[in-house]
Amino acid sequence: MIKFSVITPEKKVYENEVFQVSIPTTTGEITVLPGHIPMVSVLQAGEMRIKDKDGEHPYAVSAGFLEVRANNELVILADRAERADTIDLVRAEESRKRAEEEMKKAKAGQDVDYARLQALIDKEMNRIRVGNKYRKLK
Amino acid sequence: MAVSAKAIKTRIKSVSNTKKITKAMEMVSAAKMRKAVQAALDTREYATTAWDLLINLSKTEKEGMPLLEVRQVKRLLVVLITSNRGLCGSFNSNIIKKTAAQLKDPRNLSMQRARNGHIEPNENLEVDVIGIGRKGADFCKKHGYNLIASFNTISDKPVLEDVMVASQMIIGNYIEKKYDKVVVSYTDYRSAVAQEAKIRQVLPISEFDLEKTITELGRDEDLQDRTLSKDKQEQLNEYLFEPGKKKVLETILPRLVEMQIYQSLLESSASEHSARMLAMKNAGDSANDMIKELNLTYNKTRQAAITQEIAEIAGGAAALS
Repeated sequence: MIKFSVITPEKKVYENEVFQVSIPTTTGEITVLPGHIPMVSVLQAGEMRIKDKDGEHPYAVSAGFLEVRANNELVILADRAERADTIDLVRAEESRKRAEEEMKKAKAGQDVDYARLQALIDKEMNRIRVGNKYRKLK
Repeated sequence: MAVSAKAIKTRIKSVSNTKKITKAMEMVSAAKMRKAVQAALDTREYATTAWDLLINLSKTEKEGMPLLEVRQVKRLLVVLITSNRGLCGSFNSNIIKKTAAQLKDPRNLSMQRARNGHIEPNENLEVDVIGIGRKGADFCKKHGYNLIASFNTISDKPVLEDVMVASQMIIGNYIEKKYDKVVVSYTDYRSAVAQEAKIRQVLPISEFDLEKTITELGRDEDLQDRTLSKDKQEQLNEYLFEPGKKKVLETILPRLVEMQIYQSLLESSASEHSARMLAMKNAGDSANDMIKELNLTYNKTRQAAITQEIAEIAGGAAALS
């Protein structure tokens, strides 16, 4: 069992003992099992799957990082993390549109943080994707 | 009869009007305070975890990481976090007083603590200030400190994006070696009645300062927890970095610095609203006392006037008969 917690600036999203966690990182998806050596890695927007004694829980996470500590502790510091079934698809879609529009406007002007806008779009796309996937399953 | 009854009446009216205003402001601040305090407390969890990580990372070698590099201080940057509005008791004056005292003699502030002793600052030390919140910026302008930027559009409920511009500017300038040390002066929220002005080093990221901050942050039961887990961590400090150490540190460090600045802002905001609520409550209480006293005086004057009138009538009647 791994002591696992997901923390965002707003709140502690998840804290429990888990069997395994699959996490999207910049170098591809990794799965952390008990006994992992200490590690620090960077998260990518994507789908995280937590397996605990109640089964598997999908979460949509965005940028952040993960830290595997000694003694089977795993901490994820993410900008945002939410359960797939609580994602508000309508609002996610809206904010994606907003971000895309801003991107278009930004193309005309100069000196805008493209990377940040692109990250925002990716984040919302990811929420929509993960949200949709699990909506269909039900 | 020293004062006329009418004058007192007007005074009572004006005081009770003021009371109404302070009462309303108190209630508004109470609501805002609850939100701000909640936000600050919620972020503390993230911030303390991030700091734990930061401490561990800052113990790794500092080679080639501009944000970890400790160098002699030629230029110091002070980020002064205050409120945009007044009427919040001694909130702004406390933080400004503390900062001003340090700015008068910035040598102490610009000492670099390192594992092997201190690094004394350069002879011609220069200090620049970034003001977050209008009051601090006003103070700097008035006293001739070199204010390089001022952010006063930050809302009552700060979000991470609000400090993004400021943090990126700070980090950018540090990497370009425009500044050799960055400190944040902010007000730490302890409770609704106690806030403390504090100055904290942000850059370079130093394990000494971080450990100090954490012991300050984790005041109660948190503290024992943290020291315990620190022992644990010290046994195994060798981390695997994925995809690579440099890459990971480059992503994480700026992020953690942003977080630190954000946390300071949230603490400040929580403190501001608490201070304002308290100030308004005190003002309301004083207004109450004042009204009570004025009412007493008013009644006395009125009574005196009536008594005098009766005396005059009685005197007049006695003169007629």
